[in-house]
Amino acid sequence: MIIKRRKAGTMGLNLTSMIDVVFLLLIYFMVATEFKTAEESFPMDLPVRNHGHSLTLDNEPLVIFVESAGENPNDIRIRLDGPWGSVASLDELLSFLRKNKIGTFGSSGLFAEAHPILIKPTDETRWDHAVAAYNTVARADYVNITLDEPS
Amino acid sequence: MARRGNPSSTINANMTPMIDVTFLLIVFFVVVSQIVDRDAVSMDLPSPEHAVAGVPDKQNRVVVNIIPLDDGEVAGIVVGGHTIAWDAMHELTAIIDTRLRGGATDVHLRADRSTKYSHVHQVIEAIRDVGVTPRLQLVINGEEQ
Repeated sequence: MIIKRRKAGTMGLNLTSMIDVVFLLLIYFMVATEFKTAEESFPMDLPVRNHGHSLTLDNEPLVIFVESAGENPNDIRIRLDGPWGSVASLDELLSFLRKNKIGTFGSSGLFAEAHPILIKPTDETRWDHAVAAYNTVARADYVNITLDEPS
Repeated sequence: MARRGNPSSTINANMTPMIDVTFLLIVFFVVVSQIVDRDAVSMDLPSPEHAVAGVPDKQNRVVVNIIPLDDGEVAGIVVGGHTIAWDAMHELTAIIDTRLRGGATDVHLRADRSTKYSHVHQVIEAIRDVGVTPRLQLVINGEEQ
């Protein structure tokens, strides 16, 4: 019996369809991918309502009034309630809070870490200015911060 | 003059490096691309300088989005895929109450940087109306590295 032998040839896969699909996937991911910064958050414990009952506070809270004077981050007006003098900017507020914190080196030690601090923006204050004031107090390592009703 | 040539041979481009690079690109985009967060509505969040905020836990949360309009005004609220009219704040309280009973522990508050504080405070008060006090997370943009 005569066995015919095939000629020596190279076997190759047809890659065309795979390349088509791969390019489609590539285009899909390039179009759909959105590069953005991750979100972060400030935790804030909501104060419990006490319907009509008066609260007795161990410490008088430090009240910080916040007002927007424009759209830029630096267009913010800050005022402290009480005999604390004036603070013109967030940096000055940060210095004041750090200087008067108990336990800080070189501080006069008026406020403890858990001293209640109320931030009172006005009705018209921009949300980013209110958050900037909150962030400044948090940067000074105070932990009992509350956004109060508008002043 | 007659040209010599091999009429039966075909010229094939070597596709291997191209396929290697293409697969690398696909793997890169698959790894980098974020799964769409259905709870979060696109808006311009506050991004304070030197923020000391932390990365929030995305489990067991309710996301409250205050939809901004121009000039600091608001169009409504989106929470858990539900759109709520601004004058129907009791619906927001009811939805948050349901979600908290379902095991949620945190309420994430997302508001545009230009939104007036009076509107944000109204939403905070509606969340307080739930009775139990969840932990409120004030969401901001993380600082770019």
